[in-house]
Amino acid sequence: MSAQGPAPRQGSTTVGASLACRRVSFSYSEGGASVPALRDVSFSVPAGDAMALIGASGSGKSTLLQVIRGLDEPEAGAVVLDGVEPGAAGYAERQREVGLVFQTPEVQLFAATAREDVAFGPRRLGWSEPDVADAVARAFELVGLPQAVYADRHPYSLSGGEARRLALAGALAMRPRLVLLDEPFVSLDPGSRRDLVAILERLRADGITLLLVTHDVDLAWRLCEQRLVLAEGRVAAAGLWDFAGDDARLLAANRLREPFLVELWRRLAYAPGQAPRTLEEAAKALA
Amino acid sequence: MGREGRAAEGPPAPLAVEASATRRGAAGARRCAKLPHGMDPSAADRSAPLIDIAGLRFRYPGAREDALADFDLQIGEGEFLVVVGANGSGKSTLARLLGGLDKPTSARHALGCGRDLLTDQGRVDVRRDVGVLFQNPDNQLVAQCVEEDIAFGLENLGWSAVDMRRRVDEMLTRFQLEDLRHREPHLLSGGQKQRTALAGVLAVPRRVLVLDEPTAMLDAVGRDDVLAAVSELHAEGLAIVLITQEMDEVVGADRVIALERGTVVFEGTAAELFADIDLVVRLRLGLPAPGALAVALGERGRLLPRLPLTIGELLEELASPP
Repeated sequence: MSAQGPAPRQGSTTVGASLACRRVSFSYSEGGASVPALRDVSFSVPAGDAMALIGASGSGKSTLLQVIRGLDEPEAGAVVLDGVEPGAAGYAERQREVGLVFQTPEVQLFAATAREDVAFGPRRLGWSEPDVADAVARAFELVGLPQAVYADRHPYSLSGGEARRLALAGALAMRPRLVLLDEPFVSLDPGSRRDLVAILERLRADGITLLLVTHDVDLAWRLCEQRLVLAEGRVAAAGLWDFAGDDARLLAANRLREPFLVELWRRLAYAPGQAPRTLEEAAKALA
Repeated sequence: MGREGRAAEGPPAPLAVEASATRRGAAGARRCAKLPHGMDPSAADRSAPLIDIAGLRFRYPGAREDALADFDLQIGEGEFLVVVGANGSGKSTLARLLGGLDKPTSARHALGCGRDLLTDQGRVDVRRDVGVLFQNPDNQLVAQCVEEDIAFGLENLGWSAVDMRRRVDEMLTRFQLEDLRHREPHLLSGGQKQRTALAGVLAVPRRVLVLDEPTAMLDAVGRDDVLAAVSELHAEGLAIVLITQEMDEVVGADRVIALERGTVVFEGTAAELFADIDLVVRLRLGLPAPGALAVALGERGRLLPRLPLTIGELLEELASPP
């Protein structure tokens, strides 16, 4: 993005940015020792696709998001964004087009009003005030918080679900082309989860690329055509789901169970690889 | 989940017995903190509810609305109560009040294990009897290694080194943490952290355990571990209050309350709650996936005889002739 305003889209063929990690390694230091968190991580997500990033706690999922966003520098390997290599012209802009939504991001809300909170990112990017206002309006709309109702509220006066959506609006206001989400469903009530699923489905429909860390395999299966399984910082599997193959065992080995609809299909003696993604599709097939 | 009346029969709860034997003295015998369920010498005390709250109101400083209002709740010995409700409906506030961590703004009465929650001393005393486990174990682990963390509460209560050693060893065995006893808590997996936090809460003998979304941050295995531990504790007679957003954790509960804007708007079994779809939607809850699928099937004209809440029940219903 330039100081003049939001970057025009005509430079890229798609709204979403592709992502590729090439042999990325990262360690953090722990009491003087170096603890490897990511080892030789390679995978790619085509522009506009959604990938679920799954694995046991401590497998490196959050670290990987930080490295992709550029908050941590990989020790080895490269994060290629939209086909642009690190160090190449335009890489910094591509990095700014990556939105990262932290785990329980609502704790990071800080401004006096919801509007100011969402406007913070676009202002920091140096956008003009009309552009900021535009971006803020669109972000409120995207996350389903009517601006007239919420813009002047204090962030702390919002419910947990509303605060989570406001934090997401803050990331979306910067018009990211790749959105990284770290356990966005945790501690939301079921109604707020349904709202968030609808928001993410809308981002997908808009062509934005998603990388979604979640231990909710049902929602991972519903929202993402691809999965990346991390185990102790290494890639255990990357690419399209494969329940016709080894995925059920792979999930079990990583402290997760298979999605409800996959289990149902298997137990009904249908092909688990053909399991539907949504309850509606399942109902249609079974009615 | 959700059995009741275990306290009055069968052997007393090992967790409480051990601790009580350690701690009981002439003075201690009169205090409910020291007594396991079923061993209370006073019949009157035994029949009285552990938690007895009526007309309670709570408002956070500076807030414009009450977080809890007109709130009534009774919990008996050995009960398993599940609490559901939307974000902001007052569930976590309830956990803090039950644990004596916040002061009710007002109440007709508010008793926890016989302590008056409206008084400063009552709230200090109730913290011994009512343990609270919160969602994020990172906020609850304080020590440099697992066993120190488990000993933390006992140390504050002035237990002798010998008693403390024995109690900590029991807890390590109990929660399968022996191999991790010298590990730094922040290097554990989420499930291990939460088991460590639970061991620390229960090292102090409790009569009520309040769990505030204890599995929200855990993977499937970690979640199963914590739920299995809770279920075992309940089977031994500990009263449990489980606050959750996971609808499949509600299935099978004998007693569920649902909160809406700080008030109890439903009380009944899990099956009764899920049968009232309009209420479930209004409260921003959901059905467990098998139930939601059954509803979607019904909308397409295939009505199942019963609302299934588990995948096993769903498969049975699907197999039954239309």
